[in-house]
Amino acid sequence: MMFFFLFSVSGNASTPEFKKKKNSECLLRLRHEGLLNSCPAGVASCPASSCPFRSPRSPRLKLLESALLLGPRPTAGGMEFSELIRTGRAQAELLRGPGAPPLRGTLCVTGHHLLLSPGPQATSDLWLLLLRSVDSIEKRVAGDSGTITLRCKDLRVLQLDIEGVEATLDIARSIEALSSLESVITSFPFFYRPKGLRLGDAWHFHPPEHHYKRVARETNAWRLSEVNEDFSVCPSYPRAVIVPRAVDDDALARSARFRQGGRFPVLSYHHAPSGTVLLRSSQPLTGPQKRRCAEDEELLRAVLAGARPGARGFIVDTRSAQAAKQARMTGGGTEAKAAYPGWKRLHRPMERGRPLQESFVRLVEACGDLEQSMDRWLSRLEGCRWLAHVKEALSTACLAAQGMEREGACILVHGAEGTDSTLLVTSLAQLILDPLSRTMTGFQELVEREWIQAGHPFQLRCAHSAFSHARPKHEAPTFLLFLDCVWQLGRQFPLSLEFGEGLLLALFEHAYASPFGTFLCNSEKERCLCEVRTRTHSLWSGLNQPKEQRKLRNPLYVLNPLAIWPSVEPQSLRLWQGLFLRWTRPPEPSEAAWEKVWQIVTDKEKTEGSQPTVSASEPQP
Amino acid sequence: MLPGPLDFSDTISSMASAPTSKYNSHSLENESIKRTSRDGVNWDLSEAVPRLPGETRVADKEVIYICPFNGPIKGRVYITNYRLYLRSLETLSSHWHFEADACVFQDSALILDVPLGVISRIEKMGGATSRGENSYGLDITCKDMRNLRFALKQEGHSRRDMFEILTRHAFPLAHSLPIFAFLNEEKFNVDGWLVYNPVEEYRRQGLPNHHWRITFINKCYELCDTYPSLLVVPYRASDEDLRRVATFRSRNRIPVLSWIHPENKTVIVRCSQPLVGMSGKRNKDDEKYLDVIRETNRQISKLTIYDARPNVNAVANKATGGGYESDDAYHNAELFFLDIHNIHVMRESLKKVKDIVYPNVEESHWLSSLESTHWLEHIKLVLTGAIQVADKVSSGKSSVLVHCSDGWDRTAQLTSLAMLMLDSFYRSIEGFEILVQKEWISFGHKFASRIGHGDKNHADADRSPIFLQFIDCVWQMSKQFPTAFEFNEQFLITILDHLYSCRFGTFLYNCESARERQKVTERTVSLWSLINSNKDKFKNPFYTKEINRVLYPVASMRHLELWVNYYIRWNPRIKQQQPNPVEQRYLELLALRDEYIKRLEELQLANSAKLSDPSTSPSSPSQMMPHVQTHF
Repeated sequence: MMFFFLFSVSGNASTPEFKKKKNSECLLRLRHEGLLNSCPAGVASCPASSCPFRSPRSPRLKLLESALLLGPRPTAGGMEFSELIRTGRAQAELLRGPGAPPLRGTLCVTGHHLLLSPGPQATSDLWLLLLRSVDSIEKRVAGDSGTITLRCKDLRVLQLDIEGVEATLDIARSIEALSSLESVITSFPFFYRPKGLRLGDAWHFHPPEHHYKRVARETNAWRLSEVNEDFSVCPSYPRAVIVPRAVDDDALARSARFRQGGRFPVLSYHHAPSGTVLLRSSQPLTGPQKRRCAEDEELLRAVLAGARPGARGFIVDTRSAQAAKQARMTGGGTEAKAAYPGWKRLHRPMERGRPLQESFVRLVEACGDLEQSMDRWLSRLEGCRWLAHVKEALSTACLAAQGMEREGACILVHGAEGTDSTLLVTSLAQLILDPLSRTMTGFQELVEREWIQAGHPFQLRCAHSAFSHARPKHEAPTFLLFLDCVWQLGRQFPLSLEFGEGLLLALFEHAYASPFGTFLCNSEKERCLCEVRTRTHSLWSGLNQPKEQRKLRNPLYVLNPLAIWPSVEPQSLRLWQGLFLRWTRPPEPSEAAWEKVWQIVTDKEKTEGSQPTVSASEPQP
Repeated sequence: MLPGPLDFSDTISSMASAPTSKYNSHSLENESIKRTSRDGVNWDLSEAVPRLPGETRVADKEVIYICPFNGPIKGRVYITNYRLYLRSLETLSSHWHFEADACVFQDSALILDVPLGVISRIEKMGGATSRGENSYGLDITCKDMRNLRFALKQEGHSRRDMFEILTRHAFPLAHSLPIFAFLNEEKFNVDGWLVYNPVEEYRRQGLPNHHWRITFINKCYELCDTYPSLLVVPYRASDEDLRRVATFRSRNRIPVLSWIHPENKTVIVRCSQPLVGMSGKRNKDDEKYLDVIRETNRQISKLTIYDARPNVNAVANKATGGGYESDDAYHNAELFFLDIHNIHVMRESLKKVKDIVYPNVEESHWLSSLESTHWLEHIKLVLTGAIQVADKVSSGKSSVLVHCSDGWDRTAQLTSLAMLMLDSFYRSIEGFEILVQKEWISFGHKFASRIGHGDKNHADADRSPIFLQFIDCVWQMSKQFPTAFEFNEQFLITILDHLYSCRFGTFLYNCESARERQKVTERTVSLWSLINSNKDKFKNPFYTKEINRVLYPVASMRHLELWVNYYIRWNPRIKQQQPNPVEQRYLELLALRDEYIKRLEELQLANSAKLSDPSTSPSSPSQMMPHVQTHF
């Protein structure tokens, strides 16, 4: 996905005249900005004869390089990328797995990318890889050449055959160093300036105020509180949260002190048909002394009172009863029954953290193991337990949704920190119940609100994908599990989601490595400190460009105003082949099929007068 | 409120004269939804049982249906000479709305509509001394992956009566009764028996040509009684040669042409095993005949022989006089074994599948249980074999000879699947009907023995789900190529339902000669009449016609899945849940979806009409990728 955006930079310059003009413009600009004194790729030693930048024969590479580096010079933090680049380039052959032909050309490492420029007579395009998406790297040398195997965070495996032992080792070291940089503000999104997008666009598509407006139309029991204006009450919450009208900011601050990480109960979703609400928080800090907090109790009492007199509530704890009890020893715990009248606790243990990451790693390993005899595939798939996690997540979400829709009860979801499985449950429950969240914009808003602004620590969780040899610290594929569950919903209700597999795949890729700033950092507070909103582009503005729509939308969508209750039996759940087998199966059938379906649907629209959904996907002149 | 016991004698005469169209459209499938909507208008309670023209009422009885998903339900069972129909007397307060094909809650009443043909076994459960609720009654095993249990009152011989009536009509062969297909008086506006005309089909393939001729040597089934009367053989082989080859092939099933590649002129030839025996007999005529087949294709100097069996089985067959083509005797042939197991292995494998899906689906270790049935592994081997055949013919430019032991089970699977991959014509509804009619029905797949139509011998070792396995492979292909097939899943399920139902003559008897003796085409209705008179229902809205595209499905275990909508369709938990209050709206939504899909279809038709416009050449690339025009 990300490559698409980058290529679009050079892709526009398709006519020779345009290319020429554009080229000289770029070069002028670069000189003017003082970027052309050295090779703009930041290459330390650049033998003039082979440097594609100086070579008059590769204008495309020049153009691309210049586009990549328009922006502030990467010197923040006193670090020059060039210090990390040992060798700029080498001759190499790239193997991209089954189906794709090998690519030969000049390999080049820049501050953020790995480029392969095919020779001048080659017909194929430049090949480009964001270094940030490299998950693990393996090098082998033999004779006077070497091989680098790159395993990417999007689960692709690439092999580079490079001429020269020294070049191989140097390139490998450069990639290693550059792909593991941890500094946020030197990351590529801060330099990425795609044509056609303006900085600051789309960052304000989904503010909490926007969601509050919707809630306020449905009920007046809630208000927007700015108690967290300076992130001092809860560092992982956004500035504004939705809370019961009856509770004042002081009480909120006190309740926050009683909840882990300050994550006091806030509104996640108001289910208008039943008048009930979905809340989320972290665990209460009852501790071994079984402490209580009057303001916290008052807050939950106000929730029930706001719904309707005599309303009941369920607390869905995503830990087992025993694990919740054990948490008291470390200061956590659960809501005591006596302290919260009207609320009943349910335990639905869900796996998180390391077991989840291990399950992911095992699954990817099984999927990539093409040699292994396949007669044990099914039991191996079962042994990975990934589908069991999918089932757990979906059935807990169903429970929460059922509680609201059928029992007319308010639901509070939390586990321990309230930043992982809690968000999984609240976001899936909304997809099941809320037709709006199944639209293209509604789903983007859901991801923005329930994952990004709600403080899912993307930077920690997605630091590595399934291939890294490093010991996992905070990595966990919680967000991927969410996307998989959404995919299962889409498979069971093929007409009810406005977006297709393409959007889910894009979100997976961008969550792990992206030229956009949307998934950077762990919380709104960090994003503020890094000025992410003003200095990077939003993924949503990238995705909502008309040219992207055909890949992302579901051509069969019709609005389904009902709740969609999935079957969670193991027989109804499938391995998400489009993601886990994406690079090992021939990509032809499903993508060609998708294209055909689009064709049929757009033909239909043309004859009937276009609808907004499809007109957005029409090619722009 | 339902009335008491119904008196059918009054209604029979009126039924017989009723316009046939009324039930023409009824079949086993989701018709029930439409019926519900029709109910409000003219559903007469005295006509509580749908009936086909020619269907007569036999008996009715109050029973308790022991529903594996909802528990015991009191109901009334109606038995006709075609079906067993149950309508519950209680209304249900179930959270589950399910419309699993023949099992429907209609106005909250449970309906069970089972053609007697699907019954494979009827057992009495419990004895006179049985204690405990609902422990005395009948247990009915069906061929379509379910069992039915009815509890009956102990007094008044009610069980004995029902047992005898059901046995009589479910197993008519043992009671010298006709199979229902011969009583069925349904009329359709198209005649499915005209779908397949061998001469036309061979002409479509460009036959006869310089190398291949049509022979009527088997006109009276004298050469081979399990082959069709019309065969395509090499031009250079005389009828005398064919007779001599027949002596060396099991059951005289000589190598004959199934399909010819339109460009390469390479062919798929099918036959049975050679009668080599322990002594390693040879037959010059057979060797020469295979060489003649090879010579019809000048691109490759070898003929490829695919023996569908595992190597060891082929060797073992020598003991009973069979065997395979040895290198010594057939210099110009290459032999490969495809490792597909025999009918007994397949039967046991499917039995294991049933064990894990009915009545309760295996929960905790679903995938490893599924693996232990080996069903998907067998599917994989069959598909892999067919891919090899197709690839050899298409890319390898070599003619191919396929056989197993008798050449009517695995051979039919391989040739028909390979043809489906190679020839897009067979991926249309009529093309697929022709494929089944040709490679399965006319070439003597023993449907009567494999399915056991009307036969009470449920443990017969000849029974085997070979045809079901073929349909499963087709389904797997349609999953991988969602736009390549004109038909949808419902089409495949309908074929399988009527494989057992005995409502149509299509799948009766073992071979063409027997069918001719019984005048099946004159005396019964074809399944294709039902399907072709209501094609819309069986169409895939995303079908895009493509010519000359060879489909190579991925036959890896990672890409095969259990056909849940068929094997587990009786279980409501597999369906997405819909709570009671929104049932009605869900139905509306379904209708909306149908309408939507229909609109797509119309436009697609309009689209294809546009494309076949003479101004654009039909084989131009723009037809293959019309989006190129709209996109840029």
